[in-house]
Amino acid sequence: MLTMILRRIFLGLATISIVSLIIFAGVEILPGDACTQYLEQDQADVELLEKCRDDLNLNRPAHQRYTEWALGALTGDLGMSVNGEAKISDLVGARFANSLLLAFFALLVGVPLAMLLGVITGLWRDRKPDIIFSTIAIFAMTIPEFVSATLLILVFSVWLGWLPGIVLTSAGSPISEFFPEILLPVIVLSLVMTAHVMRMVRSSVIEVMASDYVQMATLKGVPYWQMVFRHALPNALLPAINVVALTIAWLLGGVVVIEVVFNYPGLGRMMIDAISDRDLPVVQAIALIVASIYVCINLTADLMTMIANPKLRTMYLRK
Amino acid sequence: MKKLLAATGVMLAMTVTSVMAAPSGTFRQAHELGFGSSSSLDPISKGRVFQITEKIMSRLVRPDTTGKPSADLAVSWSANSDATEWTFKLREGVKFHDGSSFGSEDVLYSINRVLDPEIKSPARSALKMIDTVEAVDGSTVKFTLSTPFADMPLQLMDYRIRMIPEGSGDTIATTGIGTGPFKLVKFDAEGVTKLVANMDYYEGAPGVAEMEIIGIGDGQARVQALLGGQIDFENTVTNLQRPMFENSPKFTMTAVPTGNWRGLVFRTDQEPFTDVRVRQAVRMAADRNELVQLVMGGGGVVACDTPVKPDDQYRAAIECPQDIEGAKKLLADAGYPNGIDVEVYVATLEPTWPKLAEAYQQQAAKAGIRVTIKQVPSDGFWKEAWMKKTVAATRWNERPADQALHEIYLSTAKWNESFYKDEGFDALLGKARRELDFDKRKALYVQAQEHLHQTAGTLIPYHVTKLYALNSRVKNFDMVVNEAIRWHKITVE
Repeated sequence: MLTMILRRIFLGLATISIVSLIIFAGVEILPGDACTQYLEQDQADVELLEKCRDDLNLNRPAHQRYTEWALGALTGDLGMSVNGEAKISDLVGARFANSLLLAFFALLVGVPLAMLLGVITGLWRDRKPDIIFSTIAIFAMTIPEFVSATLLILVFSVWLGWLPGIVLTSAGSPISEFFPEILLPVIVLSLVMTAHVMRMVRSSVIEVMASDYVQMATLKGVPYWQMVFRHALPNALLPAINVVALTIAWLLGGVVVIEVVFNYPGLGRMMIDAISDRDLPVVQAIALIVASIYVCINLTADLMTMIANPKLRTMYLRK
Repeated sequence: MKKLLAATGVMLAMTVTSVMAAPSGTFRQAHELGFGSSSSLDPISKGRVFQITEKIMSRLVRPDTTGKPSADLAVSWSANSDATEWTFKLREGVKFHDGSSFGSEDVLYSINRVLDPEIKSPARSALKMIDTVEAVDGSTVKFTLSTPFADMPLQLMDYRIRMIPEGSGDTIATTGIGTGPFKLVKFDAEGVTKLVANMDYYEGAPGVAEMEIIGIGDGQARVQALLGGQIDFENTVTNLQRPMFENSPKFTMTAVPTGNWRGLVFRTDQEPFTDVRVRQAVRMAADRNELVQLVMGGGGVVACDTPVKPDDQYRAAIECPQDIEGAKKLLADAGYPNGIDVEVYVATLEPTWPKLAEAYQQQAAKAGIRVTIKQVPSDGFWKEAWMKKTVAATRWNERPADQALHEIYLSTAKWNESFYKDEGFDALLGKARRELDFDKRKALYVQAQEHLHQTAGTLIPYHVTKLYALNSRVKNFDMVVNEAIRWHKITVE
């Protein structure tokens, strides 16, 4: 068990460093850099351009810059932002907290709702509740977020005037100031998320309800609801852990489209801004954070599944 | 009689209250967050948020609603006979938001800061003709210029050149202390910046009690905020978004002409454009009205190759209809009876360039000008195409007439993108700068523009108009160029 965990952690670290290399190379081969972006039309003046590059240390070879940055990141120093002349850890911190906040509320609404609806549609398969909720779920999943976001803004903010359409609060503000602006983004995110998780739960409930041991329990005369809660659901909800974990990672990594549409000051929007400003250190830092989140959450989810499912544990033990 | 008196009394009381009405309500506007966390309240820094500085700080001279110089912190001005020395009389009794009084030492400080090469202010180019600035007395300052400059007051109208208290340079970026109609309460570039009415403003208390200037980087998000009533005013509305506001009783929409232009540059030092007839022909082949319609959806004012903005006092009235036969004849005279082949370089960094090039391609084909459009990546455009290739697209933002003509066409100008060298033109500009009589000066600038229309290598088909959308709850809002809006006048319901 312990060697297995250590192996997973090592693999995770390897993934993170490969990701950071790919991102670095990706931004490096884009034409233009922080200086051409900053100087705009003035970049035609070669002297100005060279001076700016010297100032920002962009003239050194790429591998030198990468190593320096990577070593800094290992000690927790993510470097300085090119444009903002500010410490990246300060910039990213507040944004990350905001992404966490958004993710927290979306999960708070989405996960219980998805579980409930998944169980209902699974138990009442092909009957009215299932048909209604499954149809809605398909729409929620297939309509792109920016369309559903825009539609909700149109209805709730422009036509009805109930909720503010976009977020005006800045990155470092206290949580209370994000209300009620955060409600629409939370609704949109929960819509998409609920649909995904619900469909997963539904199919696994159907599968379990059709399994031999449930039929056996039914034949032995276990009351229906007792059978559902005691025997079926614990097994049916297990696969949902992985889907929920992926969803959490998706939410924390900055839901780029949603953050841009709602002007939400989270990691995703910061990443977009940094890419358009060619602010390489910031892009790198965010990519690193997001990759780490994915690795950590997947690791946790796998471990949780293993704890909940003895079969997986013994499989490793036997080796 | 008694009734009449009472009625008069009531009416008087009503007039008095309407005049004396205390500032009320909040006006909310967005800014573009162009410089992220390096945004600043220092009016001359690159990261200045002018949507804030314009409300908290004053200039010496400001444009009136027709664009002519009018008194702000300077009440009057005069020049010596050759326009190399300018004396400005300052308004007395004006106080900064921190309570200190405004005087000539503050002007000296503010202007010298702009000129300081160490500070590297982008505003420096507007004042580079100033040699020294000195205080004659507590409320008079004298500028000594390195060259004659008859339109010095126009240069001081620049939206960045605002007066700050002496010695405040190190703190101004966050304190924002000025003499404007609003005072800073809280500066938060990426969130909501709060301003409050300055009851001691020299023109009287403003109409609104509070202002909120909100950082929203994305244009689409700003429009959503306006539609949803989270902000009251936006001036970056595109033609596509126009119908959302135009047919709604909740909004007022106005098109305001600007000096911003997009065009095509034919380098005058490269074949075949070394021949002035070829340059005339390529410009004559353009149907500018059609370009305004096709490229800008009607959101532009036709220009005849003059960079001077449509409502500028020096704008020359030139007509330039499309003339295909004339263009063909000029090309034939220049030795190209079978027309010419032209490669036009564009990029999507200015979204209208490819459309402009395509529309021009169709129009010019009739005159035997065969255009091939070369689209290059946006990132390399300014460095590798502009001022490098023979024909490339260009764009310029608005400048005062004199500055626009100098910076783009003077033989020695750094950004003379068409490599235009014309001694006669240079001489005209020099003469205009020395001419103190307005009418004569105007005649010289008009002549210079007409000369450009005859000989230049730059096709300037139109100036872009800006669309302002305003929530109808805002009243007394000047629908004029941004620099001339009187922010203390507006009121909200």
